[in-house]
Amino acid sequence: MTASDSSRPFTVQHAPPTSPAPMPSPTLTAEQLAFDAKNVCVWYGEKQALFNINLGVRPKSITAIIGPSGCGKSTFLRCLNRMHELVPSARMEGKITLFGDDLYAPTVDPSYVRRRVGMVFQKSNPFPTMSIQDNVVAGLRLNGIRDRAFLDEQMEKSLRLAALWDEVKNDLHKPGVSLSGGQQQRLCIARAVAMQPEVLLMDEPCSALDPMATQKIEELMQEIKKNFTIVIVTHNMQQAARCSEQTAFFFMGKLIEMDSTEKIFGNPAQKQTEDYITGRFG
Amino acid sequence: MPQSHILHNFDQALNNLRNTVLMMASLTERSLDNAMTGLFERDSDRCNVVIADDEEIDTLEKTVDKDGYDVLIRFQPVASDFRQVIATMKLSNNLERVGDAAVNIARRVKKLNAHPSLPEVKTLEPMYAEAKAMLKDSLRAFTDGDLEIAVELKPRDKLLDRLNKDIADQLTEAMPKHTEQLRGYLNLIFIARSLERVGDHATNIAEDAIFAKSAEDTRHVRPVQS
Repeated sequence: MTASDSSRPFTVQHAPPTSPAPMPSPTLTAEQLAFDAKNVCVWYGEKQALFNINLGVRPKSITAIIGPSGCGKSTFLRCLNRMHELVPSARMEGKITLFGDDLYAPTVDPSYVRRRVGMVFQKSNPFPTMSIQDNVVAGLRLNGIRDRAFLDEQMEKSLRLAALWDEVKNDLHKPGVSLSGGQQQRLCIARAVAMQPEVLLMDEPCSALDPMATQKIEELMQEIKKNFTIVIVTHNMQQAARCSEQTAFFFMGKLIEMDSTEKIFGNPAQKQTEDYITGRFG
Repeated sequence: MPQSHILHNFDQALNNLRNTVLMMASLTERSLDNAMTGLFERDSDRCNVVIADDEEIDTLEKTVDKDGYDVLIRFQPVASDFRQVIATMKLSNNLERVGDAAVNIARRVKKLNAHPSLPEVKTLEPMYAEAKAMLKDSLRAFTDGDLEIAVELKPRDKLLDRLNKDIADQLTEAMPKHTEQLRGYLNLIFIARSLERVGDHATNIAEDAIFAKSAEDTRHVRPVQS
Protein backbone atom coordinates (compact mmCIF):
# COMPACT_ATOMS: atom_id res chain seq x y z
CA MET A 1 0.00 0.00 0.00
CA THR A 2 1.34 3.44 -0.86
CA ALA A 3 1.58 6.20 1.67
CA SER A 4 -1.24 8.10 0.00
CA ASP A 5 -3.57 5.17 0.58
CA SER A 6 -3.05 5.14 4.31
CA SER A 7 -6.50 6.50 5.14
CA ARG A 8 -8.20 3.71 3.22
CA PRO A 9 -7.40 0.15 4.19
CA PHE A 10 -8.12 -1.33 0.81
CA THR A 11 -8.17 0.27 -2.60
CA VAL A 12 -9.76 -0.68 -5.87
CA GLN A 13 -9.37 0.25 -9.51
CA HIS A 14 -12.16 1.93 -11.42
CA ALA A 15 -12.84 3.02 -14.94
CA PRO A 16 -11.32 6.45 -15.56
CA PRO A 17 -13.78 9.25 -14.77
CA THR A 18 -13.94 10.27 -18.41
CA SER A 19 -15.38 6.95 -19.54
CA PRO A 20 -19.12 7.02 -20.24
CA ALA A 21 -21.44 5.46 -17.69
CA PRO A 22 -22.82 2.18 -19.01
CA MET A 23 -26.46 2.48 -19.93
CA PRO A 24 -29.06 -0.28 -19.66
CA SER A 25 -29.07 -3.05 -22.16
CA PRO A 26 -29.80 -1.63 -25.59
CA THR A 27 -31.19 -4.94 -26.80
CA LEU A 28 -34.80 -3.90 -26.02
CA THR A 29 -36.48 -1.37 -28.26
CA ALA A 30 -38.46 1.61 -26.94
CA GLU A 31 -41.66 -0.38 -27.55
CA GLN A 32 -40.36 -3.31 -25.52
CA LEU A 33 -39.03 -1.21 -22.66
CA ALA A 34 -41.54 -0.21 -20.00
CA PHE A 35 -39.97 3.23 -19.88
CA ASP A 36 -37.48 4.70 -22.26
CA ALA A 37 -36.24 8.11 -21.11
CA LYS A 38 -34.20 10.13 -23.57
CA ASN A 39 -32.29 13.30 -22.70
CA VAL A 40 -34.59 14.16 -19.82
CA CYS A 41 -33.82 17.52 -18.23
CA VAL A 42 -35.92 19.09 -15.49
CA TRP A 43 -35.87 22.58 -14.03
CA TYR A 44 -37.57 23.99 -10.96
CA GLY A 45 -37.67 27.66 -11.88
CA GLU A 46 -34.09 28.56 -12.77
CA LYS A 47 -32.56 25.58 -11.01
CA GLN A 48 -31.84 22.56 -13.12
CA ALA A 49 -32.62 19.34 -11.23
CA LEU A 50 -31.96 16.71 -13.92
CA PHE A 51 -29.36 16.70 -16.68
CA ASN A 52 -29.83 14.62 -19.83
CA ILE A 53 -31.07 11.42 -18.24
CA ASN A 54 -31.06 8.46 -20.60
CA LEU A 55 -32.48 5.40 -18.94
CA GLY A 56 -34.46 2.32 -19.90
CA VAL A 57 -36.68 0.33 -17.57
CA ARG A 58 -37.25 -3.33 -18.36
CA PRO A 59 -40.83 -4.60 -18.14
CA LYS A 60 -41.98 -6.90 -15.32
CA SER A 61 -38.87 -6.24 -13.29
CA ILE A 62 -37.89 -4.05 -10.37
CA THR A 63 -35.63 -1.12 -11.08
CA ALA A 64 -34.18 0.70 -8.08
CA ILE A 65 -33.02 4.31 -8.16
CA ILE A 66 -30.50 5.21 -5.48
CA GLY A 67 -28.53 8.32 -4.67
CA PRO A 68 -28.04 10.91 -1.94
CA SER A 69 -30.77 13.39 -1.01
CA GLY A 70 -31.28 16.05 -3.65
CA CYS A 71 -29.76 13.97 -6.46
CA GLY A 72 -32.96 14.06 -8.53
CA LYS A 73 -34.17 10.49 -8.10
CA SER A 74 -37.65 11.45 -6.87
CA THR A 75 -37.88 14.16 -9.52
CA PHE A 76 -37.10 11.59 -12.17
CA LEU A 77 -39.65 9.17 -10.71
CA ARG A 78 -42.31 11.87 -10.81
CA CYS A 79 -41.49 12.60 -14.45
CA LEU A 80 -42.48 9.01 -15.22
CA ASN A 81 -46.13 9.76 -14.48
CA ARG A 82 -46.03 13.53 -14.95
CA MET A 83 -46.49 14.17 -11.24
CA HIS A 84 -43.77 16.83 -11.40
CA GLU A 85 -46.25 18.96 -13.36
CA LEU A 86 -48.08 19.53 -10.07
CA VAL A 87 -45.16 21.78 -9.05
CA PRO A 88 -45.91 25.13 -10.73
CA SER A 89 -42.29 26.06 -11.51
CA ALA A 90 -41.34 22.62 -12.85
CA ARG A 91 -40.38 22.26 -16.51
CA MET A 92 -39.20 19.19 -18.39
CA GLU A 93 -37.40 18.65 -21.68
CA GLY A 94 -36.67 15.37 -23.40
CA LYS A 95 -38.79 12.35 -24.13
CA ILE A 96 -40.24 9.54 -22.04
CA THR A 97 -42.10 6.67 -23.63
CA LEU A 98 -44.17 3.97 -21.95
CA PHE A 99 -44.07 0.83 -24.09
CA GLY A 100 -43.40 3.12 -27.02
CA ASP A 101 -46.13 5.68 -26.27
CA ASP A 102 -44.86 9.22 -25.79
CA LEU A 103 -46.09 10.25 -22.34
CA TYR A 104 -45.55 13.91 -23.14
CA ALA A 105 -47.27 14.05 -26.52
CA PRO A 106 -49.59 17.10 -26.68
CA THR A 107 -52.68 14.91 -26.98
CA VAL A 108 -51.91 12.84 -23.88
CA ASP A 109 -53.90 13.66 -20.75
CA PRO A 110 -51.75 13.48 -17.57
CA SER A 111 -54.53 11.68 -15.69
CA TYR A 112 -54.44 8.98 -18.41
CA VAL A 113 -50.70 8.64 -17.79
CA ARG A 114 -51.30 8.28 -14.05
CA ARG A 115 -53.85 5.54 -14.67
CA ARG A 116 -51.21 3.61 -16.56
CA VAL A 117 -48.47 4.50 -14.09
CA GLY A 118 -49.54 4.13 -10.45
CA MET A 119 -47.62 5.53 -7.54
CA VAL A 120 -47.01 4.68 -3.89
CA PHE A 121 -45.52 7.36 -1.66
CA GLN A 122 -43.15 7.46 1.27
CA LYS A 123 -45.95 8.06 3.77
CA SER A 124 -49.04 5.95 3.45
CA ASN A 125 -52.00 8.15 2.51
CA PRO A 126 -55.29 6.27 2.65
CA PHE A 127 -58.31 8.54 2.22
CA PRO A 128 -59.09 9.28 5.87
CA THR A 129 -62.86 9.36 5.58
CA MET A 130 -63.15 6.17 3.54
CA SER A 131 -63.43 2.57 4.65
CA ILE A 132 -60.81 -0.01 3.67
CA GLN A 133 -62.91 -1.30 0.78
CA ASP A 134 -63.77 2.19 -0.47
CA ASN A 135 -60.12 3.17 -0.39
CA VAL A 136 -59.22 0.27 -2.68
CA VAL A 137 -61.84 1.04 -5.30
CA ALA A 138 -61.73 4.85 -5.01
CA GLY A 139 -59.80 5.17 -8.27
CA LEU A 140 -62.17 2.89 -10.13
CA ARG A 141 -65.18 4.85 -8.83
CA LEU A 142 -63.55 8.11 -9.88
CA ASN A 143 -63.31 6.64 -13.36
CA GLY A 144 -67.05 6.08 -13.42
CA ILE A 145 -67.22 2.38 -12.64
CA ARG A 146 -70.36 1.66 -10.64
CA ASP A 147 -70.87 -2.10 -11.14
CA ARG A 148 -70.93 -3.34 -7.53
CA ALA A 149 -69.96 -6.91 -8.37
CA PHE A 150 -67.01 -5.77 -10.47
CA LEU A 151 -65.88 -3.35 -7.76
CA ASP A 152 -66.08 -6.08 -5.09
CA GLU A 153 -64.18 -8.47 -7.30
CA GLN A 154 -61.45 -5.90 -7.97
CA MET A 155 -61.28 -4.99 -4.29
CA GLU A 156 -60.71 -8.57 -3.17
CA LYS A 157 -58.26 -9.23 -5.99
CA SER A 158 -56.25 -6.11 -5.16
CA LEU A 159 -56.23 -6.77 -1.42
CA ARG A 160 -55.11 -10.33 -2.07
CA LEU A 161 -52.36 -9.09 -4.39
CA ALA A 162 -51.29 -6.64 -1.69
CA ALA A 163 -51.20 -9.55 0.81
CA LEU A 164 -53.74 -7.73 2.97
CA TRP A 165 -56.93 -9.68 2.34
CA ASP A 166 -56.52 -12.21 5.14
CA GLU A 167 -55.83 -9.44 7.63
CA VAL A 168 -58.77 -7.18 6.73
CA LYS A 169 -61.44 -9.37 5.15
CA ASN A 170 -63.60 -9.12 8.28
CA ASP A 171 -63.05 -5.39 8.74
CA LEU A 172 -63.65 -4.03 5.27
CA HIS A 173 -65.99 -1.32 6.55
CA LYS A 174 -63.52 0.01 9.09
CA PRO A 175 -61.68 3.22 8.22
CA GLY A 176 -58.48 2.78 6.22
CA VAL A 177 -56.60 4.87 8.76
CA SER A 178 -57.47 2.36 11.52
CA LEU A 179 -54.86 -0.01 10.08
CA SER A 180 -51.20 -0.14 11.20
CA GLY A 181 -48.58 1.82 9.24
CA GLY A 182 -47.45 -1.25 7.29
CA GLN A 183 -51.04 -2.27 6.55
CA GLN A 184 -51.89 1.27 5.42
CA GLN A 185 -48.96 1.18 3.00
CA ARG A 186 -50.19 -2.15 1.62
CA LEU A 187 -53.67 -0.65 1.36
CA CYS A 188 -52.19 2.12 -0.76
CA ILE A 189 -50.49 -0.51 -2.92
CA ALA A 190 -53.85 -2.32 -3.24
CA ARG A 191 -55.46 0.99 -4.24
CA ALA A 192 -52.75 1.54 -6.86
CA VAL A 193 -52.93 -1.96 -8.35
CA ALA A 194 -56.77 -1.88 -8.41
CA MET A 195 -56.43 0.53 -11.32
CA GLN A 196 -54.46 -2.19 -13.13
CA PRO A 197 -51.59 0.10 -14.06
CA GLU A 198 -48.75 -1.10 -16.23
CA VAL A 199 -46.14 0.34 -13.90
CA LEU A 200 -45.99 0.98 -10.18
CA LEU A 201 -43.72 3.78 -9.00
CA MET A 202 -42.65 3.55 -5.36
CA ASP A 203 -41.06 6.54 -3.67
CA GLU A 204 -39.33 5.24 -0.54
CA PRO A 205 -42.32 3.06 0.31
CA CYS A 206 -40.76 1.48 3.39
CA SER A 207 -38.90 4.38 4.95
CA ALA A 208 -41.52 4.80 7.67
CA LEU A 209 -42.05 1.09 8.32
CA ASP A 210 -40.54 -1.36 10.79
CA PRO A 211 -38.50 -4.34 9.51
CA MET A 212 -41.44 -6.77 9.55
CA ALA A 213 -43.69 -4.42 7.59
CA THR A 214 -40.79 -3.68 5.24
CA GLN A 215 -40.30 -7.39 4.65
CA LYS A 216 -43.97 -7.80 3.77
CA ILE A 217 -43.80 -4.94 1.25
CA GLU A 218 -40.64 -6.41 -0.26
CA GLU A 219 -42.26 -9.84 -0.59
CA LEU A 220 -45.26 -8.15 -2.12
CA MET A 221 -43.06 -6.40 -4.66
CA GLN A 222 -41.66 -9.75 -5.77
CA GLU A 223 -45.20 -11.02 -6.22
CA ILE A 224 -46.61 -8.04 -8.08
CA LYS A 225 -43.67 -7.69 -10.45
CA LYS A 226 -45.01 -10.80 -12.19
CA ASN A 227 -47.75 -8.55 -13.55
CA PHE A 228 -46.37 -5.03 -13.21
CA THR A 229 -43.16 -3.15 -13.76
CA ILE A 230 -41.86 -1.53 -10.59
CA VAL A 231 -39.57 1.46 -10.25
CA ILE A 232 -38.55 2.14 -6.67
CA VAL A 233 -36.66 5.05 -5.19
CA THR A 234 -34.96 4.06 -1.97
CA HIS A 235 -32.33 5.34 0.43
CA ASN A 236 -31.98 1.85 1.81
CA MET A 237 -29.24 0.27 -0.26
CA GLN A 238 -29.74 -3.16 1.25
CA GLN A 239 -33.34 -2.91 0.07
CA ALA A 240 -32.24 -1.98 -3.44
CA ALA A 241 -29.78 -4.89 -3.41
CA ARG A 242 -32.39 -7.33 -2.10
CA CYS A 243 -35.32 -6.39 -4.30
CA SER A 244 -34.25 -5.04 -7.65
CA GLU A 245 -32.86 -6.51 -10.84
CA GLN A 246 -31.52 -3.20 -12.15
CA THR A 247 -30.14 -0.29 -10.18
CA ALA A 248 -29.54 3.28 -11.31
CA PHE A 249 -27.31 5.61 -9.32
CA PHE A 250 -28.08 9.33 -9.54
CA PHE A 251 -25.80 12.09 -8.29
CA MET A 252 -26.33 15.83 -8.56
CA GLY A 253 -29.04 15.44 -11.16
CA LYS A 254 -27.06 13.08 -13.37
CA LEU A 255 -27.36 9.39 -13.99
CA ILE A 256 -23.90 8.18 -13.06
CA GLU A 257 -24.39 4.50 -13.72
CA MET A 258 -27.11 1.97 -14.39
CA ASP A 259 -26.54 -1.75 -14.51
CA SER A 260 -27.68 -5.04 -13.05
CA THR A 261 -28.06 -4.78 -9.29
CA GLU A 262 -25.45 -7.50 -8.88
CA LYS A 263 -22.95 -5.44 -10.85
CA ILE A 264 -23.75 -2.15 -9.10
CA PHE A 265 -23.37 -3.62 -5.61
CA GLY A 266 -20.65 -6.10 -6.55
CA ASN A 267 -18.31 -4.19 -8.78
CA PRO A 268 -19.62 -0.86 -10.08
CA ALA A 269 -17.83 0.63 -13.06
CA GLN A 270 -17.80 4.20 -11.76
CA LYS A 271 -15.83 5.39 -8.75
CA GLN A 272 -18.63 7.73 -7.69
CA THR A 273 -21.00 4.77 -7.48
CA GLU A 274 -18.47 2.75 -5.50
CA ASP A 275 -17.83 5.62 -3.11
CA TYR A 276 -21.54 6.14 -2.54
CA ILE A 277 -22.57 2.53 -2.01
CA THR A 278 -19.58 1.80 0.22
CA GLY A 279 -20.45 4.77 2.38
CA ARG A 280 -17.60 7.12 1.48
CA PHE A 281 -19.97 10.00 0.78
CA GLY A 282 -23.66 10.70 0.77
CA MET B 1 -6.32 10.61 -2.17
CA PRO B 2 -9.06 7.99 -1.66
CA GLN B 3 -11.82 8.95 0.71
CA SER B 4 -12.41 7.35 4.07
CA HIS B 5 -15.78 5.93 4.96
CA ILE B 6 -18.29 8.30 6.54
CA LEU B 7 -18.39 5.83 9.43
CA HIS B 8 -14.91 5.96 10.94
CA ASN B 9 -15.70 2.79 12.88
CA PHE B 10 -15.97 1.01 9.54
CA ASP B 11 -12.46 2.12 8.54
CA GLN B 12 -11.21 1.12 11.95
CA ALA B 13 -12.81 -2.33 11.70
CA LEU B 14 -11.31 -2.87 8.22
CA ASN B 15 -7.91 -1.72 9.47
CA ASN B 16 -8.07 -4.10 12.42
CA LEU B 17 -8.98 -6.95 10.10
CA ARG B 18 -6.11 -6.12 7.81
CA ASN B 19 -3.60 -5.74 10.63
CA THR B 20 -4.56 -9.09 12.16
CA VAL B 21 -4.21 -10.93 8.87
CA LEU B 22 -0.87 -9.22 8.17
CA MET B 23 0.39 -10.30 11.58
CA MET B 24 -0.78 -13.82 10.78
CA ALA B 25 1.01 -13.69 7.41
CA SER B 26 4.23 -12.60 9.04
CA LEU B 27 4.03 -15.37 11.64
CA THR B 28 3.28 -17.97 8.96
CA GLU B 29 6.23 -16.90 6.82
CA ARG B 30 8.45 -17.10 9.90
CA SER B 31 7.18 -20.61 10.71
CA LEU B 32 7.92 -21.86 7.22
CA ASP B 33 11.35 -20.27 7.38
CA ASN B 34 12.06 -21.81 10.80
CA ALA B 35 10.97 -25.27 9.67
CA MET B 36 13.18 -25.25 6.56
CA THR B 37 16.14 -23.65 8.34
CA GLY B 38 15.71 -26.40 10.93
CA LEU B 39 16.17 -28.86 8.05
CA PHE B 40 19.12 -27.21 6.35
CA GLU B 41 20.96 -26.36 9.61
CA ARG B 42 19.79 -29.47 11.50
CA ASP B 43 18.32 -27.26 14.21
CA SER B 44 15.44 -29.03 15.96
CA ASP B 45 14.92 -26.11 18.35
CA ARG B 46 13.58 -24.08 15.44
CA CYS B 47 11.20 -26.93 14.66
CA ASN B 48 9.89 -26.80 18.24
CA VAL B 49 9.25 -23.07 17.82
CA VAL B 50 7.23 -23.81 14.66
CA ILE B 51 5.08 -26.36 16.50
CA ALA B 52 4.55 -23.97 19.42
CA ASP B 53 3.71 -21.01 17.16
CA ASP B 54 0.99 -22.95 15.34
CA GLU B 55 -1.43 -22.37 18.19
CA GLU B 56 -1.01 -18.62 17.76
CA ILE B 57 -1.61 -18.91 14.00
CA ASP B 58 -4.78 -20.90 14.69
CA THR B 59 -5.95 -18.29 17.18
CA LEU B 60 -5.30 -15.51 14.66
CA GLU B 61 -7.32 -17.39 12.04
CA LYS B 62 -10.27 -17.44 14.42
CA THR B 63 -9.76 -13.76 15.22
CA VAL B 64 -9.82 -12.84 11.52
CA ASP B 65 -12.99 -14.87 11.02
CA LYS B 66 -14.66 -13.30 14.03
CA ASP B 67 -13.63 -9.77 13.00
CA GLY B 68 -14.72 -10.51 9.43
CA TYR B 69 -18.16 -11.69 10.55
CA ASP B 70 -18.36 -8.65 12.77
CA VAL B 71 -17.70 -6.31 9.83
CA LEU B 72 -20.25 -8.16 7.68
CA ILE B 73 -22.93 -7.97 10.37
CA ARG B 74 -22.30 -4.44 11.60
CA PHE B 75 -21.46 -2.61 8.38
CA GLN B 76 -22.92 -4.80 5.62
CA PRO B 77 -20.17 -3.90 3.20
CA VAL B 78 -20.71 -3.96 -0.56
CA ALA B 79 -18.55 -3.87 -3.68
CA SER B 80 -14.78 -3.59 -3.00
CA ASP B 81 -15.29 -3.51 0.78
CA PHE B 82 -17.27 -6.75 0.66
CA ARG B 83 -14.71 -8.43 -1.58
CA GLN B 84 -11.88 -7.37 0.70
CA VAL B 85 -13.55 -8.78 3.79
CA ILE B 86 -14.33 -12.09 2.07
CA ALA B 87 -10.85 -12.30 0.52
CA THR B 88 -9.21 -11.50 3.86
CA MET B 89 -11.12 -14.29 5.58
CA LYS B 90 -10.07 -16.67 2.82
CA LEU B 91 -6.49 -15.44 3.10
CA SER B 92 -6.42 -16.30 6.79
CA ASN B 93 -7.69 -19.79 5.98
CA ASN B 94 -4.90 -20.29 3.44
CA LEU B 95 -2.32 -18.93 5.88
CA GLU B 96 -3.51 -21.34 8.55
CA ARG B 97 -2.95 -24.18 6.11
CA VAL B 98 0.53 -22.88 5.27
CA GLY B 99 1.11 -22.88 9.04
CA ASP B 100 -0.01 -26.53 9.14
CA ALA B 101 2.38 -27.31 6.28
CA ALA B 102 5.19 -25.69 8.30
CA VAL B 103 4.28 -27.86 11.31
CA ASN B 104 4.25 -31.01 9.14
CA ILE B 105 7.68 -30.07 7.81
CA ALA B 106 8.96 -29.34 11.35
CA ARG B 107 7.80 -32.75 12.59
CA ARG B 108 9.52 -34.51 9.65
CA VAL B 109 12.67 -32.46 10.17
CA LYS B 110 12.85 -33.45 13.83
CA LYS B 111 12.74 -37.09 12.76
CA LEU B 112 15.43 -36.49 10.14
CA ASN B 113 17.63 -34.61 12.60
CA ALA B 114 17.61 -37.60 14.92
CA HIS B 115 19.69 -39.49 12.30
CA PRO B 116 22.89 -38.73 10.39
CA SER B 117 22.62 -36.01 7.75
CA LEU B 118 21.34 -36.91 4.28
CA PRO B 119 23.07 -35.29 1.29
CA GLU B 120 19.74 -35.34 -0.59
CA VAL B 121 18.45 -32.57 1.72
CA LYS B 122 20.21 -30.14 -0.65
CA THR B 123 17.82 -31.09 -3.46
CA LEU B 124 15.02 -29.33 -1.57
CA GLU B 125 16.75 -25.93 -1.56
CA PRO B 126 15.52 -24.71 -4.98
CA MET B 127 12.02 -25.90 -4.21
CA TYR B 128 11.95 -24.12 -0.88
CA ALA B 129 13.32 -20.94 -2.46
CA GLU B 130 10.50 -20.98 -5.00
CA ALA B 131 7.76 -21.83 -2.47
CA LYS B 132 8.97 -19.08 -0.13
CA ALA B 133 9.11 -16.54 -2.97
CA MET B 134 5.64 -17.52 -4.16
CA LEU B 135 4.19 -17.06 -0.68
CA LYS B 136 5.88 -13.69 -0.31
CA ASP B 137 4.73 -12.53 -3.73
CA SER B 138 1.16 -13.71 -3.19
CA LEU B 139 1.02 -11.74 0.05
CA ARG B 140 2.45 -8.68 -1.71
CA ALA B 141 -0.17 -9.07 -4.47
CA PHE B 142 -2.85 -9.16 -1.79
CA THR B 143 -1.67 -6.29 0.35
CA ASP B 144 -0.73 -3.99 -2.56
CA GLY B 145 -3.54 -5.13 -4.86
CA ASP B 146 -0.86 -5.87 -7.46
CA LEU B 147 -2.64 -7.78 -10.23
CA GLU B 148 0.54 -8.28 -12.26
CA ILE B 149 2.24 -10.27 -9.53
CA ALA B 150 -0.96 -12.19 -8.80
CA VAL B 151 -1.45 -13.25 -12.41
CA GLU B 152 2.14 -14.52 -12.67
CA LEU B 153 1.79 -16.87 -9.71
CA LYS B 154 -0.30 -19.56 -11.41
CA PRO B 155 2.39 -20.59 -13.93
CA ARG B 156 4.96 -20.54 -11.14
CA ASP B 157 2.92 -23.15 -9.28
CA LYS B 158 3.42 -25.49 -12.24
CA LEU B 159 7.18 -25.15 -11.79
CA LEU B 160 6.84 -26.03 -8.13
CA ASP B 161 4.74 -29.08 -9.01
CA ARG B 162 7.47 -30.20 -11.41
CA LEU B 163 10.20 -29.74 -8.82
CA ASN B 164 8.15 -31.79 -6.36
CA LYS B 165 7.71 -34.57 -8.89
CA ASP B 166 11.42 -34.55 -9.78
CA ILE B 167 12.41 -34.86 -6.11
CA ALA B 168 9.89 -37.64 -5.50
CA ASP B 169 11.15 -39.50 -8.61
CA GLN B 170 14.81 -39.12 -7.65
CA LEU B 171 14.28 -40.30 -4.09
CA THR B 172 12.00 -43.18 -5.09
CA GLU B 173 14.63 -44.31 -7.58
CA ALA B 174 17.33 -44.15 -4.88
CA MET B 175 15.31 -46.17 -2.36
CA PRO B 176 16.16 -49.70 -3.63
CA LYS B 177 19.87 -48.81 -3.66
CA HIS B 178 19.88 -47.28 -0.17
CA THR B 179 17.23 -49.22 1.75
CA GLU B 180 18.73 -48.06 5.06
CA GLN B 181 17.69 -44.51 4.15
CA LEU B 182 14.09 -45.44 3.34
CA ARG B 183 12.56 -43.51 6.26
CA GLY B 184 14.75 -40.48 5.61
CA TYR B 185 13.84 -40.40 1.92
CA LEU B 186 10.15 -40.75 2.75
CA ASN B 187 10.43 -37.81 5.13
CA LEU B 188 12.07 -35.72 2.41
CA ILE B 189 9.30 -36.68 -0.04
CA PHE B 190 6.68 -35.55 2.48
CA ILE B 191 8.54 -32.28 3.09
CA ALA B 192 8.64 -31.66 -0.68
CA ARG B 193 4.92 -32.35 -0.84
CA SER B 194 4.30 -29.85 1.96
CA LEU B 195 6.28 -27.23 0.02
CA GLU B 196 4.19 -28.01 -3.03
CA ARG B 197 1.07 -27.39 -0.92
CA VAL B 198 2.52 -24.03 0.14
CA GLY B 199 2.68 -23.16 -3.56
CA ASP B 200 -0.98 -24.18 -3.94
CA HIS B 201 -1.98 -21.90 -1.05
CA ALA B 202 0.08 -19.06 -2.51
CA THR B 203 -1.83 -19.52 -5.76
CA ASN B 204 -5.13 -19.45 -3.86
CA ILE B 205 -4.05 -16.24 -2.14
CA ALA B 206 -3.17 -14.72 -5.51
CA GLU B 207 -6.60 -15.70 -6.88
CA ASP B 208 -8.25 -14.05 -3.88
CA ALA B 209 -6.09 -10.95 -4.45
CA ILE B 210 -7.36 -10.78 -8.04
CA PHE B 211 -10.95 -11.18 -6.84
CA ALA B 212 -10.53 -8.50 -4.18
CA LYS B 213 -9.03 -6.05 -6.65
CA SER B 214 -10.99 -6.67 -9.83
CA ALA B 215 -14.00 -8.85 -8.83
CA GLU B 216 -12.76 -11.46 -11.31
CA ASP B 217 -12.99 -15.11 -10.29
CA THR B 218 -9.93 -16.81 -11.78
CA ARG B 219 -10.20 -20.06 -9.84
CA HIS B 220 -10.27 -23.30 -11.82
CA VAL B 221 -9.62 -21.44 -15.06
CA ARG B 222 -7.11 -23.18 -17.31
CA PRO B 223 -4.83 -20.95 -19.35
CA VAL B 224 -5.81 -20.80 -23.03
CA GLN B 225 -3.63 -23.12 -25.12
CA SER B 226 -1.86 -21.22 -27.89
